Amino acid sequence: MTTSLTIDDLRVSADGAALLRGVSIRVTPGVPLTIVGETGSGKTLVAEAAMGTLAPELSASGWVVLGGTVSDAGDRAARRHLWGRGIALLPQEPWLALDPTMRVLPQVAEGHRFVRGLGRSEATACAREDLAALGLANAATRFPHQLSGGMAQRVAVAAARAGGAPLLLADEPTKGLDAALRDAVVALLRGALQEGGSLLCITHDVAVARALGGEVMVMLDGEVVERGSAEKVLDAPSHAYTRRLLAAEPEAWAEGELPVPGAEVLSATGLSAERGGRRLFEALDLTVGAGEWVAVTGPSGCGKTTLGNVLLGLLRPAAGVVRRRGGLVRTRYQKLYQDPVATFAPRLALRTALAEAAALHGVAWSQLAAMLDRLRVPDALLDRRPDQVSGGELQRIAIARALLPDPVFLFADEPTSRLDPITQQETMAALQEISRERGLAVLLVTHDLAMARKVAGRQVTLRGA
Amino acid sequence: MGGVARALLRRGVQAVLVAVLVSGLCFTLVRLLPGDQAMRVAEGRYGYDRVTAASADAVRAELGLDRPAVEQFLAWVGRLAQGDLGVSLVTGERVVVEIAYQLGHTLLLSLAALSLALLAGPALGLFAGLRPGGVLDQAGMVGAAALRALPVFALGIGLMLVFGVTLGWLPVAGFHATENLVLPALALGLGLAAASARVARDATVAAVNAPFFGFALLRGLTRAQAVRQHVPRNAAVPVLAYLGVNLALLVEGVVVVESLFGWPGIGHALSHAISARDVPMLQGTALSLGLIFVALNAFTDVAILAADPRRRG
Repeated sequence: MTTSLTIDDLRVSADGAALLRGVSIRVTPGVPLTIVGETGSGKTLVAEAAMGTLAPELSASGWVVLGGTVSDAGDRAARRHLWGRGIALLPQEPWLALDPTMRVLPQVAEGHRFVRGLGRSEATACAREDLAALGLANAATRFPHQLSGGMAQRVAVAAARAGGAPLLLADEPTKGLDAALRDAVVALLRGALQEGGSLLCITHDVAVARALGGEVMVMLDGEVVERGSAEKVLDAPSHAYTRRLLAAEPEAWAEGELPVPGAEVLSATGLSAERGGRRLFEALDLTVGAGEWVAVTGPSGCGKTTLGNVLLGLLRPAAGVVRRRGGLVRTRYQKLYQDPVATFAPRLALRTALAEAAALHGVAWSQLAAMLDRLRVPDALLDRRPDQVSGGELQRIAIARALLPDPVFLFADEPTSRLDPITQQETMAALQEISRERGLAVLLVTHDLAMARKVAGRQVTLRGA
Repeated sequence: MGGVARALLRRGVQAVLVAVLVSGLCFTLVRLLPGDQAMRVAEGRYGYDRVTAASADAVRAELGLDRPAVEQFLAWVGRLAQGDLGVSLVTGERVVVEIAYQLGHTLLLSLAALSLALLAGPALGLFAGLRPGGVLDQAGMVGAAALRALPVFALGIGLMLVFGVTLGWLPVAGFHATENLVLPALALGLGLAAASARVARDATVAAVNAPFFGFALLRGLTRAQAVRQHVPRNAAVPVLAYLGVNLALLVEGVVVVESLFGWPGIGHALSHAISARDVPMLQGTALSLGLIFVALNAFTDVAILAADPRRRG
């Protein structure tokens, strides 16, 4: 069988520290290859080496066979001429990858016009067909900001593939998407396999690997620890790490004892909210007791975050009343954000930011340090800036910070959606433990139904309009 | 296009407010100036050496300057509402006719300066931004800082000395041929062009580092194709927004540059009207400059809406 991409003995290092230690892959037409691994396992480096987009400070060795030519993995320019023609990369965040000032159709047509060399009107006609094939015929004249997340993802696929590349690389294509959108993206990726196409998908989401099928490769610390067919690797894993990875999937979480709600900390009656004139939810009643976990689920854009913000008093409801327990200051009701990086001052060392927050709430540093220690945040990390630590580490620091005012209620807005499964499980476990100890009520917004089922005693499902 | 209609409506309301404010301010400020207004008007008409107290009194009675200020102001506003700007106290010509003649000159000069700021500046900025730290970028930074630091009148005199007097390439005053336009347009436009070049440079750097530019390269476009397709429009938005805020500099500059180069526009007429205490002329010219400012702002609003689809609600 022919191969569309072969990488042989790829080694990547930064300042002498090995990041990839001899990784070899082989992608064949019609059979998807999925690389699964946690943040820092080096899986993204494999895709970057294939494209030739490794950061200049990294040194690389090994061989890449692509489009019938062999080149040195460290030679970044060698595969430049194949971009769009032989190999296409699907961006992680499609809504940022599209030009905000240009309509969708001409952006897709660019590949046909500039890469395939078609005339302007012919290129536009091809782009129109591409969009129609993905169910986007009506979106051709829209601008990117007028697309939903799922539509932007499809437009990005159409744009990436317009140049005719037979091999598609997708790096975390489902990051931050809800289950329905994730399935749609998987279907989209499988579509790329038709007509002799090939697919290399890199993800931390085991569910994506399962849905794609084909071949699966598990990476840890720059090495491949297990590889084989999807059924074999995911149903009968042989390596301990793979087993741990699979156990970290929310479906596999242990059925813990759910906390018994204590005295009421917050109640809402007849709540309704609108956004842009559209009704998000209405006549919603909700009571949350101390230590209770309530999960809010529903499709993207249905108002999950809005509900949490209304309960905190950050937004005013269109109708209804929210009552928080009397005698408590507002700061006892806290929020944990989806993207922790955005919630820290970017230029401030974490230690400074935390010290300020601790002083503000009159908490001794030793008490905060004990909590950080418990959340397994190494002290040395605190001298870095927020963008210099991993997402999982920063989210644990954010939890420690949110606990400073001794909250009775925490609105956790997709707190683990950007974390890999093992980190996600550890973070949720820590949060559950703290909640149990302190009687902290948690309103968990999530798109992961399995997680909602495992951790929350009660579920609120918003249908969306 | 609800966005365009809304922007124009907002500027329309602003135009009315400008008219009211400018009229009131001019009227008050002229009365606060030292000296006898009637005497200064008579001087303007008959010459410094032939003015007598009697001629000043005659002017006072003729123009109603002896009436209460409020009454005079209301009379002026009433006429303004009917589109009548009054009669120049010095020339006796209707202000509307005077301004109609000057307006063309001012617009010509402003548009020449604006095209420098909108075309030459951003084009240089774009090339500087494509090679940040390169020769053009470094030279541009120095040049822009120097041009922005120079006051308009100093720049104007410098241009006159170099190109008019020393080199003798261009006329330093007058308004009869195209080459008359060059120096005043440069004096007025270079500062704005320098600033918009730096804004365009930063906007270009931002566009080239944006994920959509990287994605264009990954899709197989060459760098030149990606620049052509995705940089100019994205870089234009901040440049237009910057110009919109800084159009006041243009209007200020018009007064200085026209006076300096003897350019027969509204700004020149304004400075004459002040020294001659020609109140109707002063109000008419100040009002015109205010309305030009509002019109240019409206134009910028529409241009920004055209360049950036995210702002069209």
